[in-house]
Amino acid sequence: MQGYYLRLALKSFGRNPGLTALMVLAIALGIAVCIMTLTVYHAMSGNPIWWKNDRLYAVTMDSWDPNRPYRLRHTDEPPPEMTYKDAQYLFRSGIPERKVVMYSTDGIISGVGSVPAAHLATRVTTADFFAMFEAPFLYGAGWSAGADDPAQPVIVLSRTENEKLFGGIDSVGRTLRWNDHEFRVAGVLDDWFPRPRFYDLNGGDFQQPDSAYIPFGWGTELELLNNEETDCWKPEKLDNFTDFVASDCVWLQMWVELPDGASRARMQSFIDEYWGEQHRAGRFQRPRDNRLTNVAGWLRANHVVDTDNRVLVGLAFAFLAVCLINTVGLLLAKFLNGATVTGVRRALGASRRQIFTQHLVEVGALAALGALLGLALAAFGLVAVHHMYAAAHNYERGGYQELMHFDSVGVLWAVILACVATLAAGLYPAWRIGRLPPAVYLKSQ
Amino acid sequence: MSYEVRPILSALLRNRTGAVLVALQIAIALAVLVNALYIVVQRAEKMGRPTGIDVDNVAVIASAGFTQRFQTVPSIQEDLGWLRSLPGVVAATVTGSIPLGDGGNNEPLVTRPDEQRNYNYNQVEIDEHGLAALGLRLVAGRNFRRDEIQPPLTKSDVSRFVPEIIVSRALAEHLFPHQDPLGKVVYDSNNQAATIVGVVDPVMGCFPSSDHPDWVYFVPRLPFPFGGSLIYLVRTQPGQRAALIPRIEAYLAKSNPDRVIDWVRPLNFFRDLSYLSDRAMEIYLTTVTALLIAVTCLGIFALATFNVSTRTKQIGTRRAVGARRRDIVRYFLVENGLITTAGVVVGCALALAAGYWLSLEYSLPRLNLYYLAGGVLVLWVIGQLAAWQPARRAAAVPPSVATRTV
Repeated sequence: MQGYYLRLALKSFGRNPGLTALMVLAIALGIAVCIMTLTVYHAMSGNPIWWKNDRLYAVTMDSWDPNRPYRLRHTDEPPPEMTYKDAQYLFRSGIPERKVVMYSTDGIISGVGSVPAAHLATRVTTADFFAMFEAPFLYGAGWSAGADDPAQPVIVLSRTENEKLFGGIDSVGRTLRWNDHEFRVAGVLDDWFPRPRFYDLNGGDFQQPDSAYIPFGWGTELELLNNEETDCWKPEKLDNFTDFVASDCVWLQMWVELPDGASRARMQSFIDEYWGEQHRAGRFQRPRDNRLTNVAGWLRANHVVDTDNRVLVGLAFAFLAVCLINTVGLLLAKFLNGATVTGVRRALGASRRQIFTQHLVEVGALAALGALLGLALAAFGLVAVHHMYAAAHNYERGGYQELMHFDSVGVLWAVILACVATLAAGLYPAWRIGRLPPAVYLKSQ
Repeated sequence: MSYEVRPILSALLRNRTGAVLVALQIAIALAVLVNALYIVVQRAEKMGRPTGIDVDNVAVIASAGFTQRFQTVPSIQEDLGWLRSLPGVVAATVTGSIPLGDGGNNEPLVTRPDEQRNYNYNQVEIDEHGLAALGLRLVAGRNFRRDEIQPPLTKSDVSRFVPEIIVSRALAEHLFPHQDPLGKVVYDSNNQAATIVGVVDPVMGCFPSSDHPDWVYFVPRLPFPFGGSLIYLVRTQPGQRAALIPRIEAYLAKSNPDRVIDWVRPLNFFRDLSYLSDRAMEIYLTTVTALLIAVTCLGIFALATFNVSTRTKQIGTRRAVGARRRDIVRYFLVENGLITTAGVVVGCALALAAGYWLSLEYSLPRLNLYYLAGGVLVLWVIGQLAAWQPARRAAAVPPSVATRTV
């Protein structure tokens, strides 16, 4: 029976090819726009380490100017980064299972055969970074906490960097020069691209992970400055690196891994106690605001999904609504136009239910065509957007571009959206046509 | 003249589903059109703000010394000397951050020592060729002199300030409202004083998306690369930049083995990158809104066509009893006009609601009502145009149709 209905539907499409094309196009466009927007939104709003969402916490303290908030626009937000002295103190706590203090700097790698020297983003970090954020190793491993201070000359490379420098071989144990100091490769990371780069959002939310990692102790040893956000508020002399690390400037990212609520509460009170001591000594003159923020909260607080994305999702659904309303109107007109035929079928014994099913099959076929075309259009649209972001990709701040690709979730969305939306749109016309009293349409006019 | 509104209305009300659907489409289309246009115009204004910089003729070079024998000052002198000797180069300077590049240094300045420092302003290091290399216009005072250019900060005097600065007119106006800023003294975060010797206008600094991208001041100092790269800005004669960039890159990459040239790029690249999300938003909103209007039009058109074809017999009858062609056209246009008007009225409410939501999201002023008025007019006209052809077809129905049976 369904096969027969399908043949009827195709016949019906053939009767009004222009109208059918218009309906398919409307559905396809509505779906394509929705898929494109949702794909990007989905990628942006993703939590790249959701399984550790309630174990990883960003540590922040409001150490800012007593006379004004850190942000003039969002006055309730403390600085997202830590001062060196506070991070150093909190890092000594034994409460967290793992903990990391880090920042990003510029380095130049040279001394590898004939490979020309090149700039690369380097993370200066304590040892737990890799285990905490689950960065996968292709070769070797990170370093032990002992290598952080005094700093050992070990370096971890990204997979891409290892390919550039060593042609992708297991380079563990090889030496290279980082800023003209000799380092030994301890490990090579496998492909790893958490999106957004939750652990450090300063260089752009979707920036690629750094190309190299060196122990935190090198920061003071080589007096390496932060190449991302460094914010200072206090009028104080900063005439050398010692002044700088002793200053109230904020520039370090700090994360702790706390396995349960109890350890979290203990960590919070540990920070609050430290705050109290320092407060009595004259620092921290703003209201107490020491935070442990989980990953999802951190992404929210840093506005990773920005207003533009939300507006575009709203627009996409408005567009889909117009396309579907359009389709409902056209289907209705079309079905009512064929009412005479329906009347004959009813008079010959077709039940309302059968008439309804017959028209629903027609709507379903339309939906399938629309979904297919919509998927194709969305793929095309994403390629276009991809091109638009190509410029950003070639620059160090790339990463947006990778958001513009289809994932299985996107395709699934497309299909679900197409079916649900179009069937919802087709339900009313099919029902309406089934309700028509056959007699009226059988009468000759 | 009566437009026979009442019979049309009662006919509409008896068969209202189609009309309601069209009206609903028009309502949503209006809400989207008006608000999308509002956002697009704001983005276009943002991207169209004057920068004062000769963006189309400036090339940006990033040079990073990395060996322990690399010496910043001699390297700068050598590179700038070579760049300035190139035919086709108007001026060249060295700085620490890329103008319009969305990254750089912000520092406070105040007009009295120990005053509360509430704002940071974009500090840009340049030498005496800096204004020429950017193509900036000095509107008061003087440029830096060669002997005023200070050596770079070093790791042991990071807080050192400069005795003279050049400020943007916007910053001058902010620090010294309605006063002549020339000769005025400002203080940095450590209360070190500097005198304003020049004013440039217009100018945009390194942060195009900040609240005040024109709060900029220039200091006469060679940059300290802070572990990053030195930035050379080279302004060429119009049309020569594209040819010079590969030449510059090839030469500088070899001239000094103690440093690497990260890249040589046109300044437009960085400006476009800073505005990428605005541009994307503009393109996306325009495309989707255009599609939405097109779909709505096609919907109106198709539905009107259908209405005409289902009513052929009635039209024939009306013609047979004396209705003129233009009466038929008028009937359909008035009918369509009623539907459009209903849609537009609902659309106004929707548009205002959406506009209110957007104003909260973007913390922007509420939707400008001129946009709404314009949108109403546009949709009304488009709606009538879409119904025009089907109405004409209706008018072409001959009266004899009335006498035929189907």
